[in-house]
Amino acid sequence: MAARVLQQCVRSFARPSLRLCSGNLAVRAAAAPTAALHRPLSFAADSRRTRWLGQSRSPSVGVLCRQYGDLPPLTLETIKDRVLYVLKLYDKINPEKLQTTSHFMKDLGLDSLDQVEIIMAMEDEFGFEIPDAEAEKLMTPEEIVQYIADKKDVYE
Amino acid sequence: MTMSRLPTTALSLKQFLQRQKVLGIYRNMLKTIRQVPDEADRKYLRDWARGEFKRNKNATEQDAIRMMITQANNHLEELQKSLALARS
Repeated sequence: MAARVLQQCVRSFARPSLRLCSGNLAVRAAAAPTAALHRPLSFAADSRRTRWLGQSRSPSVGVLCRQYGDLPPLTLETIKDRVLYVLKLYDKINPEKLQTTSHFMKDLGLDSLDQVEIIMAMEDEFGFEIPDAEAEKLMTPEEIVQYIADKKDVYE
Repeated sequence: MTMSRLPTTALSLKQFLQRQKVLGIYRNMLKTIRQVPDEADRKYLRDWARGEFKRNKNATEQDAIRMMITQANNHLEELQKSLALARS
């Protein structure tokens, strides 16, 4: 009985537009702590439940959801944009010459120390560690995007 | 058949390992510098580290490089100790 009452409460929370809600919520909120009022309350619930069931069955499953905090999901496009943005901010790179396929050492004239700095900037941007062995192989923005997509399970 | 197909600029194994060590030290130094609380200090230290490493970029003798690696490690440990003290 209490479970049925709670179910009605949750459904009424999820559909604030229903006019029945506020009245029922007030009744429920007042009645919930007192166990003595359960019987008259459940009658009211039963009488109105049939009306609600007709409206609330299908959409309620989608509306009853919990909310967690997380970053927006990554896509290949957003990863590429962020990688290029970070590279453009780096002072030793000429932003006009920068392409996704430009090799750091051959096309952009950087050396291995600069490449270490770039990979560290990427670690800062995306918030996860890139181990040394794999970091030294990443020589173009395209490879960096591929590596991050592999690590973060981004498929398209 | 006995001609080596490696390019002439290929490093020997020892040189390769040393290069990896130097890059690892550079990485560790940058990571430690990241923990310094003041932004101006951080920038100064980053420029100093970059300058030191770049200045000696063209050293070729293994012993000289080994000495510089030891020096860099000492600096790194000093920095880490000061940071630990500052944090406590």
